Amino acid sequence: MHDPSKKMPGETAFAVVLVGLSGFLLWQAILISGFEALSSPGAFPMAAAFAMLVTSVAILIKTLRLRERMALRFFTDVAPPVILAMFAMMLGYALLLKPLGFLPTSLLFLTLSIFALRRRGLLWSFGVSLASLALVYVIFRLVFTVLMPSGLVPEGEILAWLGNLFSGGDTQ
Amino acid sequence: MTEALQFFLISWLDLKLLGLVALGTFAGIYVGAIPGLSVTMAVSILISFTFAWDVYPALCLMVGIYMGGVYGGSRTAILLNIPGAPSAIATALDGYPLAQKGQAGEAIGLSTVMSFVGGFIGIGVLAVAAPFVSEFALTFQPRDYMLLAILGILLVGSLSGESLLKGVFAGALGLLIGAVGLDPLTAEERFTFGMVELWGGISFIAVMIGLFGVSEALTQLHHIDKAAVKQTIGRIVPSWRAVGKYLPLSLQTSSIGVIIGALPGTGGDIAALMAYDHAKRVTKKPEVPFGEGAAEGLVAPETANNAAVGGAFIPMLTLGIPGDAVTAIIIGAMFIHGLNPGPMLMIEQPQMFWFITGALVLANIFMLIFGLTGIRLFTKIVEMPRAVLIPLILLLSIVGAYAVNNSITDVYWMLLFGAFGYLLKTYGYQVGPVILGVILSRLIDENWRRAIISEQEDLGRLFMGVLTSPLSLVLFGAVVFIFISQTPLWTGLRARFGTARARGDGV
Amino acid sequence: MKTLFTGALAALAFTAVPALAEYPEKEIQGIIQWGAGGSTDTVMRAVTPHAEEVLGGKVVMQNMTGGVGAIAVKFASAQDADGYTLLMGAENPLLYKVMGLGDIDYSSFVPVNVIARGVPILVANNDAPFDTLEEMVTYIQENPNEVKFGSTGPGGLPSVVTAMLQSEIELPVTAVPYDGDGPALTALQGGAIDVMPAVLGASIEAIKAGRIKPLALIDTQANEALPDVPPITEAYPAFETYLPWGPFFGVFVKEGTPDDVVAKLSEAYAAGVENADFQQLMDDRGFQVMNISGDEAQEFLDKWQSVTSWLVYDAGIAKASPEEFDIPRPE
Repeated sequence: MHDPSKKMPGETAFAVVLVGLSGFLLWQAILISGFEALSSPGAFPMAAAFAMLVTSVAILIKTLRLRERMALRFFTDVAPPVILAMFAMMLGYALLLKPLGFLPTSLLFLTLSIFALRRRGLLWSFGVSLASLALVYVIFRLVFTVLMPSGLVPEGEILAWLGNLFSGGDTQ
Repeated sequence: MTEALQFFLISWLDLKLLGLVALGTFAGIYVGAIPGLSVTMAVSILISFTFAWDVYPALCLMVGIYMGGVYGGSRTAILLNIPGAPSAIATALDGYPLAQKGQAGEAIGLSTVMSFVGGFIGIGVLAVAAPFVSEFALTFQPRDYMLLAILGILLVGSLSGESLLKGVFAGALGLLIGAVGLDPLTAEERFTFGMVELWGGISFIAVMIGLFGVSEALTQLHHIDKAAVKQTIGRIVPSWRAVGKYLPLSLQTSSIGVIIGALPGTGGDIAALMAYDHAKRVTKKPEVPFGEGAAEGLVAPETANNAAVGGAFIPMLTLGIPGDAVTAIIIGAMFIHGLNPGPMLMIEQPQMFWFITGALVLANIFMLIFGLTGIRLFTKIVEMPRAVLIPLILLLSIVGAYAVNNSITDVYWMLLFGAFGYLLKTYGYQVGPVILGVILSRLIDENWRRAIISEQEDLGRLFMGVLTSPLSLVLFGAVVFIFISQTPLWTGLRARFGTARARGDGV
Repeated sequence: MKTLFTGALAALAFTAVPALAEYPEKEIQGIIQWGAGGSTDTVMRAVTPHAEEVLGGKVVMQNMTGGVGAIAVKFASAQDADGYTLLMGAENPLLYKVMGLGDIDYSSFVPVNVIARGVPILVANNDAPFDTLEEMVTYIQENPNEVKFGSTGPGGLPSVVTAMLQSEIELPVTAVPYDGDGPALTALQGGAIDVMPAVLGASIEAIKAGRIKPLALIDTQANEALPDVPPITEAYPAFETYLPWGPFFGVFVKEGTPDDVVAKLSEAYAAGVENADFQQLMDDRGFQVMNISGDEAQEFLDKWQSVTSWLVYDAGIAKASPEEFDIPRPE
């Protein structure tokens, strides 16, 4: 969708941000150990940041030279509401993961996003979410024992309790 | 010889062992396909799980998972543009465009058969030339690793897409991302801004999932109401003619895979990328351009990463030196099972070498079988409504990023790189060079410093070292050649001389 | 809010189901400080299943790497002191304070079991122009800075051993850093470095196969696993004051964990270490089993910290003086 001969909305701003980022990182790289030795921990980061700065400035100059603009608008074509909303949902998910726990947060996230994107009934979305979450839980938590934050649901206790039930309660 | 054959066939003749290899391979394909679940993780969990077992069944399961996992990464790379494992990054470059054209079935079929071919060549080298290759791998000095990594970073040229400048920027950014955290050599803080969470660096997998998975999912949101690409399942197994056609290329890329796999410190991910670059350079006239679904772009990385499996076992079985992260864990498992992997293993317990070789061949065969069945079902994933698929991809991305190191910080990084990757793609930057930079960052940084420290900070001595070692000289020559052939200088020169010669007179 | 919520919920759960009240009532999380496949990882994954049998619960082990292990230590110290998070680590945290890697070390934890100790050994590339420790010292003094010593960064075992050597002998060498003793030993075989201070366990197989040559054990007595290798004190008795010294592996819980929980864990791990298979594994790898807990373990940790902190400080590779953290100078 990107055409190098025309300017996208926000492209100049992005190029400016990258120049700023490169400059900042170069400054940080110099702070690591200065120019003390060829083998210093800062030598390689300085070289990489320098390359970033040079290329980003060249890119900015090239972008500024582009005269022709694309007939697009930033908030409809680059970052339309649906993308911003979805990203906000993910951010919310990441923030709530620790306090609420993996299971409730994921269920909420899946149900809401599927419902919003599909618009086919809340119950249907909930059902699909529940089924897929169950699968993810079995693979990651039970098979691969990845301990996701448990939050509100005392998963560990429930699993141990279930385990005891199945093993006939013969704990030593 | 008959004894070797006898050991080789242990896993083939015992139904239980046979079943375990099959199970391992099957599970491995799925472990490999899910981003965030890695073979490394699966094998280390298996250590506790198979603790009470005998060593043969435990190894069968691990070998199967390893082989299947390296292959499985290509699945999601082709279908969703999300490499399930780092070694499948290069596969996504041409595999995903094929899926978008409705040829996912063919792409998976071809990559499966080519993985099998590559895996087989890797094991072949392991069986025939293991001691030789491992001695060769040991001769690599820090300066050689440095040159090899520089050779790798020059791949930016073939991964940049429309603008070399943007590619170089992205590559340098990747190098810098790889340098974040406590410096592994001096424990100096780099770009940590005083945050302990950053001491461990930015998880490479989190960056990969963000740049590929999340940014792709966000891009897909543009077409949320468009119907999914209908997949036409025609011929899944490529014809003999096609396999024969790619055989010369796959032999070359498999050799790359074996050597890179056998080198301690480099693995299938670098091998696959280098093989991709090699294919791009030697394929003069691809039927479809690279990056738009070239078959060669699938053949090269898939043969190389599976060949690297056999390669990684070479130093492990002959010297007890792991060829990559997975073989490192298998060494740990062998210790726990009372074996002492090291240079004496081949002498004291030669059966282990042939047993593992046999199990690898078996796993390779199972990989082919399981890989070619169920393709129809797999391609259905792409045909799912986007409204369900995208939230699921996003959830998996979050869980996957978290699972790598049980860290919520990794999730934030993943999200950040997801958004950033989306913007990069929108403005015509490629995400490939970023990942390439992250993969190679430590290799270049550490070996550059080791090399220069070894020469007491003297550049002249380092240069002399390069010129007096045949291996370094070859690598240095390759770096110079590729660098010149990719820079505008060369194209300018060639254009001038080429046109001059064609016209027969001066300009 | 979170703690209030979960606290209330947990209280509810516990009163409702009293049968669950005995530790461990859920999975225990074992945080391994180093990566999969390393020595710490291998030891922990080998001993824990035996301990689980006595414990009657499951320990889910995870590798949490990065920051010379500091990330795992910080994580473990941020969890509740309820015995459901075990820190499985090596010796490094005891040097964090003087190395400027944060202010959390094992003093914020209670030792459950200090499992075993490794013996350092000096090994050399087969082509190196010396075969014994004395020859090496002479050669290095004649060719200053030409001999390359492998290192794993400041504070790592090779740097401490090198500092120890340099505190008694003049030894101008070039230290080439690697990110672990495995890669460094590989480099030693390939000739990228000449000498490596390593753990016996990591180098023993290569020594037995004759791929590298041992120079001296950094210990006061010879080791059963390699009876022909002389201890360093034979040639240089002055080192007796520092020895025995070596890396170790231990299981820890956060300070403030209820005593009965610590006791139960200690009992379980003590039994696990006693297991014959595990003992065999440790023997094969050249580790000295310690199996100590409680005050004895604490004493060992304190002494280790005091000796090593001052050693690295005197060698000039520490960032802060041990005095700042009230670490006494060893007598």
